[in-house]
Amino acid sequence: MSSATKASRIGEELWKTRVDKVNAELVTLTYGTIVAQLCQDYDGNYQEVNKQLEKMGYNIGMRLIEDFLAKSNVGRCANFRETADMIAKVGFRIFLNIAPTVTNWTSDNNQFSLVFDENPLADFVELPDDGRAQDELWFSNILCGVLRGALEMVQMQIEAHFVSDVLRGDDTTEMRVSLVRYIEDEMPPDEE
Amino acid sequence: MSYYFTVLSPTDVPLFNIAFGTSKSGGDGIARFRFPDTAQYMNQFIIHSSLDVVEEAQWMNGNMYLKHIDTYPPASAYISAFLTPSGARFLLLHQPPQLPTNASSATTGSSSLLGSSFSGSAGSSSRASASSVAANPTSPQTEEAVRQFMTEVYENYVKTVMSPFYRQGMEIKSSVFRSKVTAAGRKWL
Amino acid sequence: MTQPQPPRHAAMLSISNGGSSLAAAADKQQPPQHLHTQSQSSQGLRVPSNRKTIYDRHLNRSRNAELSRASFAFLFAEMVTYAQRRVTGIQDLEKRLNEQGYPLGLRLLDLLFYRTMSSSTSSSLSSSSTSSSPPNRPLRILPLLHLIHGPLWRLLFNRPADALEHSVSPETPNEYMITDNDPLVNTYISVPKEMNMLNCAAFVAGIIEGVCDGCGFEAKVTAHNQPTEMWPGRTIFLLRFGESVMEREKVLERAGVK
Repeated sequence: MSSATKASRIGEELWKTRVDKVNAELVTLTYGTIVAQLCQDYDGNYQEVNKQLEKMGYNIGMRLIEDFLAKSNVGRCANFRETADMIAKVGFRIFLNIAPTVTNWTSDNNQFSLVFDENPLADFVELPDDGRAQDELWFSNILCGVLRGALEMVQMQIEAHFVSDVLRGDDTTEMRVSLVRYIEDEMPPDEE
Repeated sequence: MSYYFTVLSPTDVPLFNIAFGTSKSGGDGIARFRFPDTAQYMNQFIIHSSLDVVEEAQWMNGNMYLKHIDTYPPASAYISAFLTPSGARFLLLHQPPQLPTNASSATTGSSSLLGSSFSGSAGSSSRASASSVAANPTSPQTEEAVRQFMTEVYENYVKTVMSPFYRQGMEIKSSVFRSKVTAAGRKWL
Repeated sequence: MTQPQPPRHAAMLSISNGGSSLAAAADKQQPPQHLHTQSQSSQGLRVPSNRKTIYDRHLNRSRNAELSRASFAFLFAEMVTYAQRRVTGIQDLEKRLNEQGYPLGLRLLDLLFYRTMSSSTSSSLSSSSTSSSPPNRPLRILPLLHLIHGPLWRLLFNRPADALEHSVSPETPNEYMITDNDPLVNTYISVPKEMNMLNCAAFVAGIIEGVCDGCGFEAKVTAHNQPTEMWPGRTIFLLRFGESVMEREKVLERAGVK
């Protein structure tokens, strides 16, 4: 069994048995409220909004990893490819009930893409028609921060950013994830 | 039949407007108002003068669709209303085609809109029966067709307001929304 | 009615665009019409090549969908933390949370009615109307409160609220209370010690206020901690309706409107 298939099964099993649930629309609408509020507070400075969302995600990721490890009870991943499957098929399943596709690996196995067929955070959303939002705002940027925060807690420094989004008129929603380095045990995590 | 449809905010700010003609009984979907030069102004004026009636009916009748609520005889304009629970008003003005005997008085308007007006209105009125949607603004068939139209527009309106970036009172500028309203008009009216 | 001129004038200009371009497109038959829609969308938002927009997604698609409760808690906590950084005190913070909930109330109101209209099998919004007829807009306070206590709560939290009461004091006939014994928004939120008076359900109070205002019932809604031994997170939502609402209520009562 491939690591991806195995991870998919674990993810689905956990979603069914170990996850307390709420109405999906409550989550979707709450997230929409957060982004809209940021856009208002930063007066349409979408770069700053992206940054703030990433920061919020980072805070969430650092706490979410505990919940993830407690629920999934999975061991250390052997390599970054296994980590990618664990994120896509277990992590995203537990928290957003989706399983993005892992693809576009670089030959050194340090970079991959997550392609989202579905994104509950973006349901109901149409970006502002101001001639800028579709070029500048990454609506779901919080997810990049979540990955960075969560993986930092398990000694991996990564960098994540969106490269396309259907909300911008792209045909796919794709996030690029790169491993920067494994953090040595003695290094404390970057606190914000 | 010519139609002018507008969405007003709870404080009467126009959020969306569209003019179109019937697609029933061989109609081509193009609006031909009786006084084309002043139609834009007149339609808005007539709609706004019906708001008092809407506001009164709003608290006596809990239905979303209030049916035909007002008539403005000088322009043979009939107004139907639909109220969303969140306070937006959908108002539809319908104006039946002019009788062929009077049509010549309208030929002084702009040529692009009126070029086919004479034959078009005469043709549709002779073909349509008195109870059809295209001819009689207050028949039960028309009330039902308007209800279907309003309901379909409401569905698209809800999709608009569900977006976190939409704020109450914002003009609806989406061309997709416009095309959905046009399609609903073609389908039901 | 006190609307300044510019918006109306602008809207009138936009009809002339809409009207004439519609006529032009229809005149030129099929191919030009296609070009026309393309040129229009290039000025507005871009859409994916499958042309899917919010208008192509069914409003009931996520109706029964679920997500993790932890995800909600994480997002909500971030929202509170972020709001906290931009305010000076608890009152300010609750006001801000209230303001963030308000537009959600307006949205949920339309969504609720749409769903009741579009489904013949589900229970209708008010107990008085039958399930086959479209829902009625609430005209009186009581049906409005039932709408909040039942359908709104079920949409948000998958269960009705726990109690609905009218103030017993003759001095405050405009006050009503909706109780939630265990609000979801307080379950996972640990409030900092210096903020122990804070009730994050102010967000939900804002949602309720949006629903009331949307329906034409001007109201102020606040959330208050009322713990009991059994329900440490128990919260009372206090709804205070404005004078104009109470006046209308009397008129409608006399007119026999329910």
